[in-house]
Amino acid sequence: MVMGTVPGRVAVLTDALQQFRDRGVTVRVATTFDPVEKIPAATELAEVHLLPTATELGPRFGRAVKRAAPARRPWLRAQRDPWVRRHAKRADVLVALDAQALHTVWQLAQRYRRADAVYGIAPALRAVEKRSADPARYRRPRLNTVGPAPTVLASATRNQTVDLAKRVFEMSTGKRAMKLGPVRWFWQGAVTAPGLPERHRGKIARRVTGNMLKTGHGASAKRLALAAQGRLKSPATKGQLLGPIVDAELGQGKVPEHLMTVVRGQLKLADGFLKKRNPGKAAPHVLRAFNLMFHRIVQFDGTTSPLAEDPEKFLAPLHNSEAGRAMATPRGRQSPAAFPPAGRPHRMLFFTGLNDNFLGPILERYEAMPGVEVRRLNLMEESILPVLSNGRTNVALHMLAGASKRAGEVQEAWGPHLEWADTVFVDWCNLGAAMLTMIDPGTTRVIVRLHSFEAFSWWPHLTDWSRVDDVVFVSEHLRDLALAAVPRLRAPQGPRTHMISNAMDLHRYVAPKVSADSRFTLGLVGLSSLAKDPRWALAVLRELRRHDERYRLKLVGDDLNPELSPAVAAYVRELDAELAELEPSGAVVRTGRTDDVPGALTDVGVILSTSLRESFHCALVEGAASGAVPVVRDWPFFAGRPHSARSLFPSDWVVGTPQEAAERILALTAAEEVWREAGRAAASHVLSTWDWSVTQKDFDRLLLEPPATSA
Amino acid sequence: MNNGRTLWDSLKLPRPRRSGSRPHMVYLAIGFPPAAKSCAYRMRETANQFAAAGWDVTAVTIADEAWEREYGLDHTLSQGVDPSVRVVKLPLFRDDLETDIRTFTEQRALAHKDYLADLRKQNLKVFPEPVFGGWRPALEKALLRIHRERPVDLLVTTCAPYVNLSATWKLWETHRVPYVVDFRDGWSVDVINNGEAFTRESVSGQWEIKLLTNAVAIWNVNEPISRWYRERYPELAHKMRIVRNGYDAASIPAQVRPAPPDRPLTFGYLGALNLPVPLLSAVLEGWRTARAQDPALADARFEVRGHIGAAWARGDNAHAELLKAAAVDGVLVGGSVPKAEVVDLYSRWDAVVLMVTGGRYMTSGKVYEYMATGLPVVSAHEADHDASTVLSTYPLWTGAVGLDPAELTGAFRRAAAMARTADAAEREKARAEARQYAREGQLIPAVREVTELVLGAGGPAGAPQPSPAGARVLAREGRS
Repeated sequence: MVMGTVPGRVAVLTDALQQFRDRGVTVRVATTFDPVEKIPAATELAEVHLLPTATELGPRFGRAVKRAAPARRPWLRAQRDPWVRRHAKRADVLVALDAQALHTVWQLAQRYRRADAVYGIAPALRAVEKRSADPARYRRPRLNTVGPAPTVLASATRNQTVDLAKRVFEMSTGKRAMKLGPVRWFWQGAVTAPGLPERHRGKIARRVTGNMLKTGHGASAKRLALAAQGRLKSPATKGQLLGPIVDAELGQGKVPEHLMTVVRGQLKLADGFLKKRNPGKAAPHVLRAFNLMFHRIVQFDGTTSPLAEDPEKFLAPLHNSEAGRAMATPRGRQSPAAFPPAGRPHRMLFFTGLNDNFLGPILERYEAMPGVEVRRLNLMEESILPVLSNGRTNVALHMLAGASKRAGEVQEAWGPHLEWADTVFVDWCNLGAAMLTMIDPGTTRVIVRLHSFEAFSWWPHLTDWSRVDDVVFVSEHLRDLALAAVPRLRAPQGPRTHMISNAMDLHRYVAPKVSADSRFTLGLVGLSSLAKDPRWALAVLRELRRHDERYRLKLVGDDLNPELSPAVAAYVRELDAELAELEPSGAVVRTGRTDDVPGALTDVGVILSTSLRESFHCALVEGAASGAVPVVRDWPFFAGRPHSARSLFPSDWVVGTPQEAAERILALTAAEEVWREAGRAAASHVLSTWDWSVTQKDFDRLLLEPPATSA
Repeated sequence: MNNGRTLWDSLKLPRPRRSGSRPHMVYLAIGFPPAAKSCAYRMRETANQFAAAGWDVTAVTIADEAWEREYGLDHTLSQGVDPSVRVVKLPLFRDDLETDIRTFTEQRALAHKDYLADLRKQNLKVFPEPVFGGWRPALEKALLRIHRERPVDLLVTTCAPYVNLSATWKLWETHRVPYVVDFRDGWSVDVINNGEAFTRESVSGQWEIKLLTNAVAIWNVNEPISRWYRERYPELAHKMRIVRNGYDAASIPAQVRPAPPDRPLTFGYLGALNLPVPLLSAVLEGWRTARAQDPALADARFEVRGHIGAAWARGDNAHAELLKAAAVDGVLVGGSVPKAEVVDLYSRWDAVVLMVTGGRYMTSGKVYEYMATGLPVVSAHEADHDASTVLSTYPLWTGAVGLDPAELTGAFRRAAAMARTADAAEREKARAEARQYAREGQLIPAVREVTELVLGAGGPAGAPQPSPAGARVLAREGRS
């Protein structure tokens, strides 16, 4: 008997061995695992033998095993085992006890043709019975049972030839070979040779490029991959070939030229698995495509992003793929959201715990409001965390398959909360929102607020918008971007969309400036991401200081962390070089992070927004409330669109270049009175437009009044 | 896949019976005796009843060797087949159940799972049934050949396997032979998961509607399945008949007495162990607890009889492991029982355990037999199950408690009490309740109806009909 895997049913095995023993049958079992440790009970009923291990068989065998398909490996061990040869030769019945042992028994059966060769315990018992019933028949030698089958010789020769070819290929494409220029040159030509079948071309090119990259020949690898992909037809093969090149470039902080080729390849592979109704295997490819499309180097760490530039075009491969369509399938809800009945409090459920930075005033208002009952569902609670674990993979799998076990777990964990609530408010369109839409919310109204980063992430594509009633955006330009990127938001089954500004208590920033000289201090609050682009503020400062040395820049907030990505590290290097020049003279002051932002703003006369992209930029508005003159860069991600910084703020606040910024600052800070008047006007505008006392009415309308369509 | 093509030419059909004016009925019944399968009981009775109704019956099944790969043979079953029934055994085998490694290719030995997956894929290309689809050409050929040798007046097809429908259609398409579909557990209804197995637009759906539209009659085993079909195809509702599985009187002891107080109780289960593992596990847990809690069960035994697994997994699957581990709790595993010996088994049991999968569309055949024994019945199935409907009037039933081990514990204890206390009158009342489900009582009216439909009110005894039987059916349907 041969066992290729540790048996899951030891009682069945021992019972069978006992039956053989009772029939007077001698049983010998060869295993690929340690039988004394794993099946001690069997060792008392049969002679049990562990096949030689790789350590015992030496390095040459180790290499042979590595080359062989996993299913062949038990036979490679058995083939070299004199114990197996000796006993198989004398055996009457050869038995494979599991599927992993089938090939070994098949090989033995070809060599020792006198024996029965069967799969399973019951067939083995039957074979024994048959032999016992007519022993004379089996004693007679027959021509077709003498010696090994002729196929064995042919098979062995074929296997040896294949093995030799594999060895030659491995050596000539290995890392050692890739260190040699002529070899790299050879493969460059070989992978583009006409007539080479696609699957071989793809396989060879992948291995060679991989080893070139590993030996530090990135340029050769890229050249070879590009040359080979020109001759490939399958998008999946192209994507697999260029994958390592793209990864290497992202690792260096560059936006890869062939990023979308790899994305298309991954989506094609996912589509292939979906066609075979195997969403489990499709999911990793979709996630890899997401990782590439929404990589921070691509979307966040550059001066612009392909998604912001042209969302439809950038996301077309996703939307046009089967995987994209499967994820976009609206599952809907059985009952429409119902407005709470009169006569009892309106029950609101807020998802909290992941990031509550913008939720404070909203929660405070409704928790204190009579007629409203608020509950918080803290997603960081230990009882909830298991539901969120490995969340993205599980949501993707659910979206692709249309159902999942995890959805049942979410229903179990969150269902009672949803059943209680009339309205659920999920701040941030990320994991919480996506997981919530895995289940039917019943009659509960679902509101999701999408800030900014989510629009550049996979989350809106993993959210079933047919189960969301309202989406809140914090600015019009974010709404435009999200609607362009996620067509489902515009679908008939999609949610209503609203634009409501962030809840900000701006009155606490109103304070007198310390002196008239404050007008020469520019302030920039919040530096922790590359999108804030403080170097743009330095360019403004340089312009100003060419006119007047009194201008200085105050940077408030944590420094950028260079470990976030190679692109951020490169930016920090350049920023540090500039600061090293400006800081010693006092032109730039870094205060670091502070909890007293209103205090830090009392000596700031001009508040800057220098960002590449913002959804709203609360810090700028808070600075304006303090009486500082606002100067806003026309955020490049959205500049020139129907909605941008220019449509969000009064047009005179917004500038296109550092020179324009300097001109505005010089004009408004030349005289103290002009500066104070401009500051007062800005403060008055922000307080009357965006203070929580004003915007809370928009929230009341959204949360407390029946939606127009559900009357 | 062995679809019989290679062996076909060497197949010798038994000589067709010539019985004067008796009409010829072909019964396509894969699983006909001596196959050791529960469906063989219904098949045997169906063939016998048609023979008794005046038909020359040719039963078509597959070779005995093919059953060896599955659950084996029970030759005692064949003894009860009417000697006038001609049995044709086709050389068709399930390649997926092959256990002789010498017949494997190296590729199959290397990647057995892939081989099986590919086999299923290939079968699906032939007919939408993954395991049996590949038999389609051979079955079609066999039926055409039988018809050529002696024209067929009626074809009764029983499913599963559903590939039988392809051969049925072939005979209808080419020779307009009227047919009855004995759908038993249905096809488009998923009796395990309580829902639709496939849509009307699917390939299977197209086959089903095509076959049912032209059938003379459609039989199902219970009201829920019949209702499913009546609702799915309201225009065919007039053809639907419920023909329950029923029980064989020969398998039931003449009388059952209360268990003597000095003898430990014996509970029994008889049937193939193709249940979900959690169901079996819940029953064994309930049994263990009941045995520990109730002194009346302290030394009781639970005898499990029937097939466990097929092919290489025969006696070597999770069920076998669970049962062997439960040996310390008085659980005995005794293997399958020849049909002729079933009566002895019931004679020594004091109560029976009805373990059945599925839900409201499933009844099972053994529920009728269990009821007929007059023994207390412990139900181990979903509460919303058609067996509950059948048992609802049975006085020695412990009730539908679902599959919670704690509830099953209570059911075992109640059954133990009944086994000791139920007197002869109560048992007789219980047995009387089951009599309505005697197998011949289920089949006789259905066979009579089909006979009249196909041959006219006079039946086979009347004058031979000049026109082909198919034309009469067409006329009845108004589609001549």
